[in-house]
Amino acid sequence: MEDIDNIEEDDCGFSRNYFLAKELGGASKRSVHKLSDIHIVDEQELRETASTIEMKHAKEISELLSDYKTMYPKWVFELRCGFGLLMYGFGSKKALIENFASASLTEYSVVVINGYLHSVNLKQVLLALAELLSELLKCRRKSSGSLSKGQETFPSPSIDDLLSFLHGPQSEDKDCFICVVVHNIDGPALRDPESQQTLARLASCSHIRIVASIDHVNAPLLWDKKMVHTQFNWLWHYVPTFAPYKVEGVFFPLVLTQGSTAQTAKTAAIVLQSLTPNAQNVFKILAEYQLSHPDEDGMPTDDLYSASRERFFVSSQVTLNSHLTEFKDHELVKTKRNSDGQECLNIPLTSDALRQLLLDLNQ
Amino acid sequence: MAPSGTVTDHPPSSTTDSFNSDVTAENDIRPFFVLHKASSGSSLHGKSIGTLKSKRRIESPTPKIAKKSEVESVEEEDGHFFSTLRLKVFETVWSKIEKAIEDVLRDSNSKIFSGIHDWIRESFESIISSGALKLSEAVRSYPVLTQASSKQLFTALVLTRNLEMVDDLLTFEELDLYLKSQGCHVAKLSSMDFSAKSGVGGCLRGLLRQFVMPTVDVADVTILASWYRENKNHENPVVVIVDDTERCCGPVLSDLILILSEWAVKVPIFFIMGVSTAHDAPRKILSVNALQRLCASKFTLSSPAERMDAVLKAVFLKPCSGFTVSYKVALFMKSYFLCQDGTLTSFVRTLKIACLQHFSLEPLSIMLEHFCQDHVNQLSGEDTGLLTEATMKHSFDLPSVTRNKITRSTFEMLPQFLSDLQRMPNPWSIVVLCIYEVGKFDKLRLLDIFCEILDPEAHYLKYFSPSEIVNCQSHNSGRNNVIRRVLRKLRDLSPSQLSSMLKSWENLTAEFSEINDKVMELHPFMRSVEAAGQRQGLPNSPKKHTSRSHSKLEKEVKAMTDKVAAVIEFMLREYMKPVETIPFHEILCFKNVDKLQSALLGDPRGKIQSDLLESHNILHCMCCSQRGTTLLPSMHDTSILYTLAQEHADVINLHDWYQSFKTILISRNSKAKQKSKSSSKSKKRKDICEEPEVPAEALIQARFCRAVMELQIAGLIRMPSKRRPDFVQRVTFGS
Repeated sequence: MEDIDNIEEDDCGFSRNYFLAKELGGASKRSVHKLSDIHIVDEQELRETASTIEMKHAKEISELLSDYKTMYPKWVFELRCGFGLLMYGFGSKKALIENFASASLTEYSVVVINGYLHSVNLKQVLLALAELLSELLKCRRKSSGSLSKGQETFPSPSIDDLLSFLHGPQSEDKDCFICVVVHNIDGPALRDPESQQTLARLASCSHIRIVASIDHVNAPLLWDKKMVHTQFNWLWHYVPTFAPYKVEGVFFPLVLTQGSTAQTAKTAAIVLQSLTPNAQNVFKILAEYQLSHPDEDGMPTDDLYSASRERFFVSSQVTLNSHLTEFKDHELVKTKRNSDGQECLNIPLTSDALRQLLLDLNQ
Repeated sequence: MAPSGTVTDHPPSSTTDSFNSDVTAENDIRPFFVLHKASSGSSLHGKSIGTLKSKRRIESPTPKIAKKSEVESVEEEDGHFFSTLRLKVFETVWSKIEKAIEDVLRDSNSKIFSGIHDWIRESFESIISSGALKLSEAVRSYPVLTQASSKQLFTALVLTRNLEMVDDLLTFEELDLYLKSQGCHVAKLSSMDFSAKSGVGGCLRGLLRQFVMPTVDVADVTILASWYRENKNHENPVVVIVDDTERCCGPVLSDLILILSEWAVKVPIFFIMGVSTAHDAPRKILSVNALQRLCASKFTLSSPAERMDAVLKAVFLKPCSGFTVSYKVALFMKSYFLCQDGTLTSFVRTLKIACLQHFSLEPLSIMLEHFCQDHVNQLSGEDTGLLTEATMKHSFDLPSVTRNKITRSTFEMLPQFLSDLQRMPNPWSIVVLCIYEVGKFDKLRLLDIFCEILDPEAHYLKYFSPSEIVNCQSHNSGRNNVIRRVLRKLRDLSPSQLSSMLKSWENLTAEFSEINDKVMELHPFMRSVEAAGQRQGLPNSPKKHTSRSHSKLEKEVKAMTDKVAAVIEFMLREYMKPVETIPFHEILCFKNVDKLQSALLGDPRGKIQSDLLESHNILHCMCCSQRGTTLLPSMHDTSILYTLAQEHADVINLHDWYQSFKTILISRNSKAKQKSKSSSKSKKRKDICEEPEVPAEALIQARFCRAVMELQIAGLIRMPSKRRPDFVQRVTFGS
């Protein structure tokens, strides 16, 4: 009964918070300050500085981590009993889990999947696991003396074949398993239902145990009841570490530098290289004009047309317009009216960046 | 993409080499890698427990239990021996429980299963008798059979009475095995096979793979037909089980039904469809054409609540493993079952977690091994060798022992206590089951009775005082009072119900003479009730009639129920000792409901937010603990930022957020810095780059970005959109 009361209270708390927040939005006028009002340092510099940030409370965090060390035997016991471990709580748990694996799971092979990367290919993981297991089983057979000719080869197996191999019958000591560590099982590459299904099937294999971490508050929504109860078989462990998300965050954009102001030469070059040579040449004319007339608002469209036509880059106004539309879509070019009322084209990059860009294009 | 054929990248010899930072950094950007391989294979597994057992003894867990975490107390230097032993005992105990559960479930399904099999047999005979086909006819799709009846596909709708599929997975697997053991050809498809993506070809291929051979890669029914005519395959029916019909893609399932029904005579296929909602579910997902081809029969499985009661009985009330749970844990498990999930699977999982936690928290739990064995009093033998001085001390420090004022002077009695503990559940569970027998008439669930009766502080005898008896007639408020309900129901029972109750009591108490004697004493009263009933010629009529002829019977029934109530009172008084009142019960009773709850139900949403809002509670740092409501620059950056976010509405202006973050960080710095900060706002002044404060600015911006990124990883905010480039969106409002 108490539980139910608590739940109701929590629910009220939630809705109250929500409506308060909504009301706040309506009542006091939304702030009109712009991000561009802040003098934002260069992205490169920001990234460099970010890598040198000193960790706060380093001592307390390391104490916290060493406190968790006392849990290691318990975790091993739980894994051996057939459960999967799911770590959650604020802070990167990568170091913690890998330390646990290196310290306490030495008897088992450990494979680590970095779920925070976009390039995870689960089939390759399964293939690697299957190879490991067949090696392990071979070892076992040799040591136990019973040499059975069950040589498994994996020429071009399907995911189903691999999973059924990993789900093979257990030998007498039930302790023959490979431990799979999945950092950020809720990570970008694994978030789709198909990957989660595959992971769940992998987790239910008899020769596999999973230790995973989640960071997103809504991560449990990835799984249905079948996955939770019969496949992953999670035991939840609350292990906040407050360690910085260094590697996990590498591919996240920096909030201050994203947006239109941060258009760099690099991204522009990537876009331009995908365009036709003629379009690139038109862009070059524009860039060269801007570099030679740094004080002007930009190149009048008509001038660009005649310059491009002279060099046979465009045949008509229509072709030019289509190129310009492409530029504008990728925010390579902005239009402005100058003091004479003429429409001018301007590339929103600094002179240095523009020079670099031209250099890149000419290579 | 980084190279991912990592197994071959590493030569086997260099598996567990040192982790220098280069290797780690390289591994961080690989999609996956092998951290290390199993160390020298079987060294560990060769060790036998037996050899160690004679040498090692349980080390003292007590001194640390008071001050340090339970894990440390359990795991000590020779933890390896005990962890192996503990694992072994856990496996013994759990396999006992698991087997008991499996048996119960198999029993509860066996009737339905044989019903399904009979139906298949009968229908199969009727198809066969309608005319045998020649081989050449049977493997071709022509001639087309025109009679409507020959296109009927026999279908069994198995109503699972359970919205959650997860409980029924096992049921259908068992059905699969059962039918196979009866000689049928069985294939099992699930909703995954019926996806719109792979279409009807996908599920046909699935069928062929299961029937013909696993490597088939074409979807052609004729293969199935010719397989069916091979060898002696055609002597047995073909069964296709679809366990979660509602989740299948309707058109694909309809197509499959249409195709198979065309072949219904050549390959007699029986469809078994698991339906969890209502019997009209097929009508909702199948096309009309497909529906017309179905010739359906209905089978109904037992409900989760019924199965739950059977499982409870087998695990806790019949001799099983000895493991049991405390009142609070039982209440938690009940509310989890009723409020959260409602599936037996999750209940069993909860039980397994409880069992696991018991073994990792309670050092003495390994003694459960002896409770598992069938012989009594083994403990006094050589197995007490496990009990060292230290264990003894621990066991005499158990709360249940100190509470009962058992001291070391009663040391000799320890084996006695333990064997008591071992025998204890018997009379207790007999009483519970007797009460359940009466409760059944009032539709009481064993789950409710079990949970209530575990309460160590309950006083049942008060319900037997005369005033209470009068009261309970009138007021109905006793919603969580099983004994009161049972006593009330007792007075409404008809003579025939009383008689059947008496019979079941007799069976239940057969092995326990003290109660059995009392039950047998009821027989004369029962006989006089029956006699009075026969005289009236209406033995089964409900009572409470005004006519005089009934009054005699009524009197007899009243006398009988009074006697029954007296027996219940006797049973409760003498034997109703919940496990938690017994000394040393900690050995077999799991009590830590908090641990169970946290392992079973993670709360990332609530916990991650509270981590950030109250970081000092976790870090235990001196600097931030005293902060009260003010934000200190020493706090974790993300924590500061998230606390600041609480002051905003559902969208947060990045500029404002950044400025307030910056104000917190530099609040203790000199005024001069403050000034430069305000001047730095004007971004046209490029010369600011040369001033010494700017690196700090860059650092603050970097820290801000890092903190926002961490909030984004935690899913607490959404990044600025094109439409609102200066705002991030708050996603969470309270836990």
